[in-house]
Amino acid sequence: MSNSLNIGSIDDIDEGEAKVIPGDENGTGNDIAVFHAEDGNFYALDDTCTHEEASLADGWIEGTEVECPVHSAKFCLKAGTALCMPATIAARTHKVEVTDDGLVLYPNVAANADA
Amino acid sequence: MSTADNCSSQPEANASIGRMDRPAELTRNIDVSNLVDSEGGLIDRSIYTDHTIYGQEQRRVFARSWLFLAHTSQFKKPGDFFTTFMGEDPIIVTMDKTKKIRAYLNSCRHRGVRLCRADAGATKMFTCTYHGWSFDLAGALKSVPNEQAYPEDFDRNKWSLIEVPNVQIYKGLIFGNWDHAAEPLEETLGDMRYYMDAMLDRDPEGTEVMGGVMKWELEGNWKLAAEQFATDWYHVNMSHASALMVLSPTGRGPKPEIVATPGRQFVSENGHGAGFPTHPKSRFDAKPVHEYYDYEMLRERLGDAAVEGPMTTGHATVFPNFSYLPVNGSIRVWHPKGPDKIEVWAWVLVDKSMPDDVKDAQRLYNLRTFGPSGIFEADDGENWSEIQAISRGFVTNQVPLNFQMGIGSEKEDGTYPGKTSELYSDAAGRSFYKHWSKLMNTPAWHEKKEEA
Repeated sequence: MSNSLNIGSIDDIDEGEAKVIPGDENGTGNDIAVFHAEDGNFYALDDTCTHEEASLADGWIEGTEVECPVHSAKFCLKAGTALCMPATIAARTHKVEVTDDGLVLYPNVAANADA
Repeated sequence: MSTADNCSSQPEANASIGRMDRPAELTRNIDVSNLVDSEGGLIDRSIYTDHTIYGQEQRRVFARSWLFLAHTSQFKKPGDFFTTFMGEDPIIVTMDKTKKIRAYLNSCRHRGVRLCRADAGATKMFTCTYHGWSFDLAGALKSVPNEQAYPEDFDRNKWSLIEVPNVQIYKGLIFGNWDHAAEPLEETLGDMRYYMDAMLDRDPEGTEVMGGVMKWELEGNWKLAAEQFATDWYHVNMSHASALMVLSPTGRGPKPEIVATPGRQFVSENGHGAGFPTHPKSRFDAKPVHEYYDYEMLRERLGDAAVEGPMTTGHATVFPNFSYLPVNGSIRVWHPKGPDKIEVWAWVLVDKSMPDDVKDAQRLYNLRTFGPSGIFEADDGENWSEIQAISRGFVTNQVPLNFQMGIGSEKEDGTYPGKTSELYSDAAGRSFYKHWSKLMNTPAWHEKKEEA
């Protein structure tokens, strides 16, 4: 499955902020968080923390990591890796591209699939 | 910015206060009528030292009075928070997603750990560091790790944060009250508002606090400090003699007419007090602040009497434990930490419209005079600690203190609102203790009505 979705302009998400693309819009059934990381790039993960119910888009973005706002688990925005307790399971990544038409999200396509 | 309109959004949570039906021995009350003689001006020293009285104060004074929490300028966006105390209860003050200022008990509903240990900051959730129960800015319990292991009837709504049900703002000052049915803040302040306005309303843009909060500990009962700021100009020439010498332009001390200055002292039935010298040329001490103000404009805005009296030099207490000094913008809370200890929390308040260099001049003047090591502040703390240090002596404790200055002098003088006494008077002190005594002898909202 490699559907893509235009999710708006890069100016819609300030650096250090994130936006949620709801599950019914992105087609996966799960909310996806698109992050504008402090390296200037955009990354996407499943929005719900792998530890407990919490929105990673509400979390704190530092560099290319996001800290869950509820229990302070950290995830790598590039690879989804769980970086510290209490999370132990990686977050699923989704590919994001910056195009002339804006941000394009590829739900269910792992971020590093083409790399 | 707004406040909760007298009602907690977590009524089910607050129903847990007192839920366990405690035995009466834990909340024994003492009739304090004989300990405060507000007509004769005598105070029994046990009210500063006794642990049962101290516990009763927490229940019947602090749990039902309007207590200063923070200044509105400390909250700019949702999630900004500040932690403080109401009496000995730890409190989180925060701005929720609708920009409402709310206050919660800073103790996890699960095993009681302080939820937030930072002095101030910004957050999205308040998460307990012990087991991870997590609460949102509206106080709702949002995450319980391993929640499936709790009984089926486990209801998160019942375990959300305990919320201070009554939060109200007066000209930038945020107050909280645990009594859901408390008389509104502005009514409780009454005529005290006129005296507060002389500090809070000089600038149409209002006030703000600068930097953080200065905090220091003193040996002494909280009432010694609160009462002095309500009623005591008398100590100035003696206690602060060295500071007055240093600050006098000639180096030979203040002029006789300054030492013997006329002035008034506001006396409130609700325990507030404010004293101030009166002079047609009353002015701010810090030179850049003095030069900044257009006194004619202030006269138009506040009236001549306010400019010539409570706007500059003076002292004040809002019952029970919020005090301020307009001349240097010190606003402070006397947090009780047991009968023998006070934690002073002091902010520097300035007018929003002041240029930065004027604000900074006021901040420095504040630090030099009434900061933790200020040349005046140190004198006051020394007195209160001295009183406390010896008050546990058996004989000492039974010798009453004198509050008789200006008995019968209270009147409406036609210039200053409410009842006022002379500048040199114990009138507001007598009134402070009278109100304290009344509250101590009256059951509060959390008590069964038949108790007395």
